[in-house]
Amino acid sequence: MEAMELSEIPAIQKLENLLLVAVPRDLTDDDVLRLRRQILQETRRYRSHWVLLDFSRVDICDSFFGRFIQSTARMARLMGADVIVSGLQDAVVETMVDLGMTLPHIHAVLDLDDALALSRENQPLNQSMDGRDADEPSASSASSANESMGWETSDVGWAEV
Amino acid sequence: MAEEASKRIHFPIHSLIDVIKARRQGLEIAIAMGFPQAEANKVAVVISELGRNIELYAGEGSITLTTYTGRGGYIEVVAEDRGPGIPDLDLVLDGGYTTSNGLGLGISGSRRLMDEFEIQSTVGQGTKIRALKRLR
Repeated sequence: MEAMELSEIPAIQKLENLLLVAVPRDLTDDDVLRLRRQILQETRRYRSHWVLLDFSRVDICDSFFGRFIQSTARMARLMGADVIVSGLQDAVVETMVDLGMTLPHIHAVLDLDDALALSRENQPLNQSMDGRDADEPSASSASSANESMGWETSDVGWAEV
Repeated sequence: MAEEASKRIHFPIHSLIDVIKARRQGLEIAIAMGFPQAEANKVAVVISELGRNIELYAGEGSITLTTYTGRGGYIEVVAEDRGPGIPDLDLVLDGGYTTSNGLGLGISGSRRLMDEFEIQSTVGQGTKIRALKRLR
Protein backbone atom coordinates (compact mmCIF):
# COMPACT_ATOMS: atom_id res chain seq x y z
CA MET A 1 0.00 0.00 0.00
CA GLU A 2 0.89 3.62 -0.29
CA ALA A 3 1.35 3.77 3.45
CA MET A 4 4.72 2.14 2.80
CA GLU A 5 5.90 5.35 1.24
CA LEU A 6 7.01 6.52 4.63
CA SER A 7 9.74 3.94 4.92
CA GLU A 8 10.83 3.98 1.30
CA ILE A 9 11.39 7.65 0.67
CA PRO A 10 13.22 9.89 3.09
CA ALA A 11 10.32 12.05 4.12
CA ILE A 12 12.40 14.47 6.17
CA GLN A 13 15.31 16.63 5.08
CA LYS A 14 17.15 19.62 6.45
CA LEU A 15 17.15 22.81 4.42
CA GLU A 16 18.79 25.86 6.01
CA ASN A 17 16.94 26.40 9.27
CA LEU A 18 13.95 24.49 7.95
CA LEU A 19 13.03 20.89 8.52
CA LEU A 20 11.43 19.89 5.27
CA VAL A 21 8.82 17.15 5.65
CA ALA A 22 7.27 15.68 2.51
CA VAL A 23 4.05 14.35 4.00
CA PRO A 24 3.11 11.05 2.33
CA ARG A 25 -0.47 10.27 1.35
CA ASP A 26 -2.64 7.57 2.90
CA LEU A 27 -0.90 7.44 6.24
CA THR A 28 -2.33 5.19 8.92
CA ASP A 29 -2.60 6.54 12.44
CA ASP A 30 0.54 4.59 13.39
CA ASP A 31 2.43 6.11 10.47
CA VAL A 32 1.31 9.54 11.58
CA LEU A 33 2.53 8.98 15.13
CA ARG A 34 5.85 7.72 13.84
CA LEU A 35 6.23 10.62 11.46
CA ARG A 36 5.47 13.11 14.22
CA ARG A 37 8.08 11.60 16.51
CA GLN A 38 10.59 11.63 13.69
CA ILE A 39 9.85 15.29 13.08
CA LEU A 40 10.49 16.16 16.73
CA GLN A 41 13.72 14.17 16.81
CA GLU A 42 15.04 15.79 13.67
CA THR A 43 13.96 19.23 14.86
CA ARG A 44 16.21 18.73 17.87
CA ARG A 45 19.01 17.21 15.86
CA TYR A 46 19.21 20.04 13.33
CA ARG A 47 18.06 22.75 15.76
CA SER A 48 15.49 23.71 13.15
CA HIS A 49 13.55 26.91 13.63
CA TRP A 50 10.88 25.95 11.17
CA VAL A 51 9.10 22.72 10.39
CA LEU A 52 7.79 22.77 6.85
CA LEU A 53 5.01 20.26 6.22
CA ASP A 54 4.74 19.92 2.48
CA PHE A 55 1.35 18.54 1.46
CA SER A 56 1.89 18.47 -2.31
CA ARG A 57 1.45 14.72 -2.38
CA VAL A 58 -1.59 14.56 -0.11
CA ASP A 59 -4.88 14.43 -1.98
CA ILE A 60 -7.23 13.42 0.86
CA CYS A 61 -7.08 15.43 4.06
CA ASP A 62 -9.65 14.41 6.66
CA SER A 63 -10.14 15.83 10.15
CA PHE A 64 -7.65 13.37 11.59
CA PHE A 65 -4.98 14.87 9.34
CA GLY A 66 -5.98 18.29 10.58
CA ARG A 67 -5.44 17.10 14.11
CA PHE A 68 -2.01 15.80 13.13
CA ILE A 69 -1.01 19.20 11.77
CA GLN A 70 -2.26 20.92 14.91
CA SER A 71 -0.60 18.59 17.35
CA THR A 72 2.67 18.65 15.44
CA ALA A 73 2.61 22.44 15.54
CA ARG A 74 1.99 22.50 19.28
CA MET A 75 4.81 20.08 19.96
CA ALA A 76 7.25 21.79 17.63
CA ARG A 77 6.55 25.10 19.32
CA LEU A 78 7.57 23.65 22.64
CA MET A 79 10.92 23.04 20.99
CA GLY A 80 11.12 26.56 19.63
CA ALA A 81 10.09 25.78 16.07
CA ASP A 82 7.11 26.99 14.10
CA VAL A 83 5.20 25.03 11.52
CA ILE A 84 4.64 26.10 7.94
CA VAL A 85 2.24 24.19 5.73
CA SER A 86 2.86 24.30 2.01
CA GLY A 87 1.56 22.81 -1.18
CA LEU A 88 -2.06 22.21 -0.21
CA GLN A 89 -3.96 21.29 -3.36
CA ASP A 90 -6.95 23.38 -4.46
CA ALA A 91 -9.41 20.53 -3.97
CA VAL A 92 -7.96 19.74 -0.55
CA VAL A 93 -8.25 23.36 0.55
CA GLU A 94 -11.88 23.54 -0.52
CA THR A 95 -12.74 20.39 1.38
CA MET A 96 -10.85 21.43 4.51
CA VAL A 97 -12.69 24.72 4.76
CA ASP A 98 -16.12 23.22 4.06
CA LEU A 99 -15.40 20.55 6.65
CA GLY A 100 -14.81 23.34 9.16
CA MET A 101 -11.08 22.84 9.54
CA THR A 102 -8.79 25.77 10.13
CA LEU A 103 -5.19 25.76 11.26
CA PRO A 104 -4.45 28.06 14.17
CA HIS A 105 -0.83 29.04 14.88
CA ILE A 106 0.24 27.78 11.50
CA HIS A 107 1.63 29.61 8.52
CA ALA A 108 0.39 28.44 5.18
CA VAL A 109 2.25 29.20 1.96
CA LEU A 110 1.76 28.18 -1.63
CA ASP A 111 5.01 26.36 -2.25
CA LEU A 112 8.58 25.76 -1.15
CA ASP A 113 9.82 29.06 -2.57
CA ASP A 114 7.44 30.99 -0.38
CA ALA A 115 8.28 28.83 2.61
CA LEU A 116 11.98 29.54 2.18
CA ALA A 117 11.31 33.24 1.78
CA LEU A 118 9.24 33.25 4.96
CA SER A 119 11.84 31.41 6.97
CA ARG A 120 14.62 33.70 5.76
CA GLU A 121 12.73 36.87 6.56
CA ASN A 122 11.28 35.98 9.92
CA GLN A 123 12.15 34.63 13.28
CA PRO A 124 9.77 31.98 14.47
CA LEU A 125 6.92 33.46 16.48
CA ASN A 126 7.96 32.26 19.87
CA GLN A 127 11.62 33.17 19.73
CA SER A 128 13.39 36.37 20.50
CA MET A 129 16.43 37.34 18.49
CA ASP A 130 19.00 36.05 20.90
CA GLY A 131 17.76 32.70 21.93
CA ARG A 132 14.85 30.45 22.53
CA ASP A 133 12.90 32.58 24.96
CA ALA A 134 9.24 33.15 24.40
CA ASP A 135 8.88 36.39 26.32
CA GLU A 136 9.76 38.77 23.55
CA PRO A 137 7.44 38.22 20.65
CA SER A 138 8.88 38.90 17.26
CA ALA A 139 7.50 41.92 15.49
CA SER A 140 7.68 40.18 12.16
CA SER A 141 4.78 40.03 9.81
CA ALA A 142 4.50 36.35 10.52
CA SER A 143 3.18 36.95 14.00
CA SER A 144 -0.05 38.43 12.81
CA ALA A 145 -1.16 35.08 11.45
CA ASN A 146 -0.85 33.65 14.89
CA GLU A 147 -3.87 34.92 16.68
CA SER A 148 -7.28 34.74 15.27
CA MET A 149 -8.01 31.35 13.89
CA GLY A 150 -9.59 28.46 15.68
CA TRP A 151 -11.48 25.33 14.85
CA GLU A 152 -14.93 26.22 13.75
CA THR A 153 -17.22 23.96 15.62
CA SER A 154 -20.58 25.57 15.94
CA ASP A 155 -21.78 26.86 12.62
CA VAL A 156 -23.41 23.82 11.20
CA GLY A 157 -25.25 24.54 8.03
CA TRP A 158 -25.33 23.63 4.43
CA ALA A 159 -22.35 24.90 2.59
CA GLU A 160 -23.09 26.50 -0.72
CA VAL A 161 -21.28 24.47 -3.30
CA MET B 1 -32.18 0.12 -24.08
CA ALA B 2 -29.29 1.57 -22.15
CA GLU B 3 -27.45 -0.70 -19.82
CA GLU B 4 -28.07 -0.52 -16.10
CA ALA B 5 -26.08 2.54 -15.03
CA SER B 6 -26.24 1.87 -11.31
CA LYS B 7 -23.36 0.18 -9.52
CA ARG B 8 -22.79 -0.85 -5.97
CA ILE B 9 -19.51 -1.55 -4.20
CA HIS B 10 -19.36 -2.88 -0.70
CA PHE B 11 -16.38 -2.30 1.62
CA PRO B 12 -16.26 -4.25 4.87
CA ILE B 13 -14.53 -2.09 7.48
CA HIS B 14 -12.41 -3.83 10.09
CA SER B 15 -9.40 -1.56 10.29
CA LEU B 16 -8.02 1.76 9.25
CA ILE B 17 -6.41 0.17 6.21
CA ASP B 18 -9.91 -0.74 5.01
CA VAL B 19 -10.98 2.87 5.45
CA ILE B 20 -7.98 4.12 3.50
CA LYS B 21 -8.72 1.70 0.66
CA ALA B 22 -12.39 2.63 0.57
CA ARG B 23 -11.75 6.38 0.46
CA ARG B 24 -9.13 6.06 -2.25
CA GLN B 25 -11.42 3.95 -4.39
CA GLY B 26 -14.26 6.37 -3.70
CA LEU B 27 -12.10 9.24 -4.94
CA GLU B 28 -11.22 7.36 -8.14
CA ILE B 29 -14.81 6.33 -8.79
CA ALA B 30 -16.12 9.87 -8.29
CA ILE B 31 -13.52 11.30 -10.66
CA ALA B 32 -14.28 8.63 -13.24
CA MET B 33 -17.98 9.58 -12.97
CA GLY B 34 -17.13 13.14 -13.92
CA PHE B 35 -17.20 14.88 -10.55
CA PRO B 36 -14.85 17.88 -10.35
CA GLN B 37 -11.73 17.13 -8.31
CA ALA B 38 -12.94 19.14 -5.31
CA GLU B 39 -16.30 17.35 -5.19
CA ALA B 40 -14.66 13.95 -5.56
CA ASN B 41 -12.32 14.96 -2.77
CA LYS B 42 -15.27 15.76 -0.51
CA VAL B 43 -16.79 12.35 -1.15
CA ALA B 44 -13.45 10.73 -0.24
CA VAL B 45 -13.21 12.73 2.98
CA VAL B 46 -16.76 11.79 3.95
CA ILE B 47 -15.92 8.11 3.38
CA SER B 48 -12.86 8.66 5.55
CA GLU B 49 -14.71 10.38 8.39
CA LEU B 50 -17.57 7.87 8.46
CA GLY B 51 -15.19 4.93 8.10
CA ARG B 52 -13.06 6.20 10.95
CA ASN B 53 -16.13 6.46 13.16
CA ILE B 54 -17.00 2.85 12.39
CA GLU B 55 -13.50 1.70 13.20
CA LEU B 56 -13.25 3.84 16.32
CA TYR B 57 -16.63 3.32 17.93
CA ALA B 58 -18.03 0.09 16.55
CA GLY B 59 -14.83 -1.79 15.67
CA GLU B 60 -16.35 -3.03 12.43
CA GLY B 61 -19.05 -2.33 9.94
CA SER B 62 -19.28 -1.49 6.29
CA ILE B 63 -19.32 1.25 3.72
CA THR B 64 -21.35 0.84 0.57
CA LEU B 65 -20.96 3.11 -2.42
CA THR B 66 -23.77 3.30 -4.91
CA THR B 67 -23.28 5.22 -8.11
CA TYR B 68 -25.77 6.19 -10.73
CA THR B 69 -24.48 7.69 -13.94
CA GLY B 70 -27.66 8.37 -15.87
CA ARG B 71 -29.67 11.62 -15.78
CA GLY B 72 -29.56 12.98 -12.25
CA GLY B 73 -26.41 11.02 -11.50
CA TYR B 74 -25.09 10.72 -7.99
CA ILE B 75 -22.79 8.88 -5.65
CA GLU B 76 -24.21 7.62 -2.39
CA VAL B 77 -22.22 6.60 0.67
CA VAL B 78 -23.87 4.36 3.25
CA ALA B 79 -21.96 3.66 6.45
CA GLU B 80 -23.40 0.99 8.72
CA ASP B 81 -22.37 -0.58 11.97
CA ARG B 82 -23.79 -2.49 14.91
CA GLY B 83 -21.88 -0.43 17.40
CA PRO B 84 -22.99 1.50 20.48
CA GLY B 85 -25.08 4.04 18.57
CA ILE B 86 -25.04 7.80 19.04
CA PRO B 87 -26.77 8.87 22.28
CA ASP B 88 -27.23 12.53 21.45
CA LEU B 89 -27.54 13.11 17.74
CA ASP B 90 -28.16 16.84 18.07
CA LEU B 91 -24.86 17.36 19.86
CA VAL B 92 -22.98 15.43 17.21
CA LEU B 93 -24.68 17.27 14.37
CA ASP B 94 -23.83 20.63 15.95
CA GLY B 95 -20.15 19.73 15.74
CA GLY B 96 -17.36 20.09 18.25
CA TYR B 97 -18.70 17.21 20.30
CA THR B 98 -16.55 14.12 20.58
CA THR B 99 -16.00 11.27 22.99
CA SER B 100 -12.65 10.46 21.42
CA ASN B 101 -9.67 12.65 20.74
CA GLY B 102 -10.99 13.77 17.41
CA LEU B 103 -12.00 17.23 16.43
CA GLY B 104 -15.70 16.49 16.59
CA LEU B 105 -15.93 17.55 12.98
CA GLY B 106 -16.49 14.13 11.44
CA ILE B 107 -20.26 14.04 11.24
CA SER B 108 -21.14 17.73 11.31
CA GLY B 109 -18.43 18.42 8.73
CA SER B 110 -19.42 15.48 6.53
CA ARG B 111 -22.94 16.81 6.44
CA ARG B 112 -21.67 20.11 5.07
CA LEU B 113 -19.72 18.34 2.34
CA MET B 114 -22.68 16.47 0.86
CA ASP B 115 -26.05 17.27 -0.75
CA GLU B 116 -28.06 14.84 1.36
CA PHE B 117 -27.26 13.47 4.77
CA GLU B 118 -29.32 11.19 7.04
CA ILE B 119 -28.55 9.43 10.28
CA GLN B 120 -30.42 6.58 11.88
CA SER B 121 -28.95 5.54 15.19
CA THR B 122 -30.24 3.46 18.07
CA VAL B 123 -28.25 3.25 21.27
CA GLY B 124 -27.03 -0.28 21.78
CA GLN B 125 -27.96 -1.36 18.26
CA GLY B 126 -25.96 0.62 15.78
CA THR B 127 -25.79 3.46 13.34
CA LYS B 128 -26.58 3.91 9.70
CA ILE B 129 -25.57 7.06 7.88
CA ARG B 130 -26.52 7.80 4.33
CA ALA B 131 -24.88 10.63 2.41
CA LEU B 132 -25.30 11.60 -1.20
CA LYS B 133 -23.68 13.94 -3.67
CA ARG B 134 -25.22 14.78 -7.01
CA LEU B 135 -23.48 15.21 -10.32
CA ARG B 136 -24.39 18.59 -11.72
